[in-house]
Amino acid sequence: MCGIAGFFAKSDARNAPAGATLLRMLTALSCRGPDSAGIALWGRGDDGLTVRVKLGDGGDLEARRREVLRRARRATRVRASTTQGSLLRLVVTKTEPAELAAAIESVAPDVEVVSMGQRLEIVKQVGAPGGLDAEFAVSTWTGTHGLGHTRLSTESRVDLSHSQPFWAHGMPDLAVVHNGHICNYHRLRRIYEQEGVRFYTENDSEIIGLYLSRQLAHGRTLGEALRASVRDLDGSFSYLAATADALGFAKDPFSLKPLIVAESDGAVAIANEEVALQAALGGRYQAREAAAGATGLWEIGGPVSARRGRRARRVA
Amino acid sequence: MKAIDCAALSIRQINESIRRLIEAGAREIVVRNPGARHNLAVAILTDVAITIDGPVGYYAGGMSDGVQLTIHGSAGWGVAECLMSGTVVVDGNAGNGAAASIRGGTVVVRGDAAARAGVSMKGGLLVIGGGCGYMTGFMMQRGRIIVCGDAGDALADSMYEGVVYVGGEITALGSDAVVSEASAAELAEIHTTLARHGLNGPAAFRKVVSGRKLWNYDKKDMETWKAAF
Repeated sequence: MCGIAGFFAKSDARNAPAGATLLRMLTALSCRGPDSAGIALWGRGDDGLTVRVKLGDGGDLEARRREVLRRARRATRVRASTTQGSLLRLVVTKTEPAELAAAIESVAPDVEVVSMGQRLEIVKQVGAPGGLDAEFAVSTWTGTHGLGHTRLSTESRVDLSHSQPFWAHGMPDLAVVHNGHICNYHRLRRIYEQEGVRFYTENDSEIIGLYLSRQLAHGRTLGEALRASVRDLDGSFSYLAATADALGFAKDPFSLKPLIVAESDGAVAIANEEVALQAALGGRYQAREAAAGATGLWEIGGPVSARRGRRARRVA
Repeated sequence: MKAIDCAALSIRQINESIRRLIEAGAREIVVRNPGARHNLAVAILTDVAITIDGPVGYYAGGMSDGVQLTIHGSAGWGVAECLMSGTVVVDGNAGNGAAASIRGGTVVVRGDAAARAGVSMKGGLLVIGGGCGYMTGFMMQRGRIIVCGDAGDALADSMYEGVVYVGGEITALGSDAVVSEASAAELAEIHTTLARHGLNGPAAFRKVVSGRKLWNYDKKDMETWKAAF
């Protein structure tokens, strides 16, 4: 199963209550995945980078924190640092993302940059969505859009790193939530690994963000990357992806996983059960199951577009 | 008329409340604040009018026999699954697998139905006021589907028997689905049916039936099957 949720405020208001909305959506979806929960939110941001770091799977996290900070300071100027649970939050002067991540992750194998971006922040943890609010106060977070995930693990282990949303490591501000299975994961992973890509988990969903980031790095738009993924990824999937400027979805050609899209005058809400749309938008929307193989994209300040699968043609 | 407010009730409590009202003789029941929750009004084996005042989640009205269910909102996956007799009406759109495996009765989706509507139907009638998604009528064995709008890819794939009428465009026919001519009597019956449910369809409908080429193994395909197994 897994619950996935997306919320997009059409007003481009960075003070929209996206955190509280996503938390309500995730709570409604929590029966789809009791293992872990997480939220990605694109907030106010600034000209620097906000970095969330998992300090480790256990042990002396305070020593880890000091060492991460020391190495981050060697890579760039650290403007602020706070610790919440096992996550360290840094605000740094903009620098080369890959070099900063490498510097931080050189501390230990279980130190991981969980998110990085000018506007993106990801928090996630094992357990129910309520824990996100208790530890990170996500209900007070504001931003234009965000993604949420509740996980029912089927094949890989349950810990913070294997939880979603997944940041697309190396590509600031790109994150993904996924419901389903990517069946050509191992084949794609072997290809990517031969090209030097590091994988942080055994979770097949991790490959979606990496796939999209490679598409974007080759100059494709997020919309083009989503459409290409319907062909290139094999399996059952409904997934949501977002950058600082846009939020979109893609659904496998057999429509094996649910994904319901609803728009009101002020917002777009997407989830794999309508209970979450109720939680986001109340009663004022029209719900529609996304078509098999469909993708959709909403851009900040851009025209609203949603694309169905293949165009109809007359056969007789 | 009796009313149930779902707000403070679990799904099991809602369905038990419906059952208790039926046992006490109620013939009209309104279910308020459904909140798009799953499995509402399932396995109702009585000719009773139930109105759900809002959207529902998965499998609403499923496994029922004789119910007159109206949903003032959208429905999730598998609405009216395995209906034996009675009527289920969805005012909004429906998710995947609407009217899956129904054996009788009538399911009306006023909006669009998503993928695999009427999959494996074994009787009954599915009426879709809007369009329908991928593989509608997949492996249907009996019954009728009327689609006023456009039909998605792989329409009526591998159907055994039964008939699908489409008023709009067909993206592509499924395996062994063929278009044939709808008679004047069939068209009149379609419009009578639509009028009964307050729907307006186009004047013309195309009729899709089984080509019956998949009914039997073809000796020529033997090598293909050997390779497959």
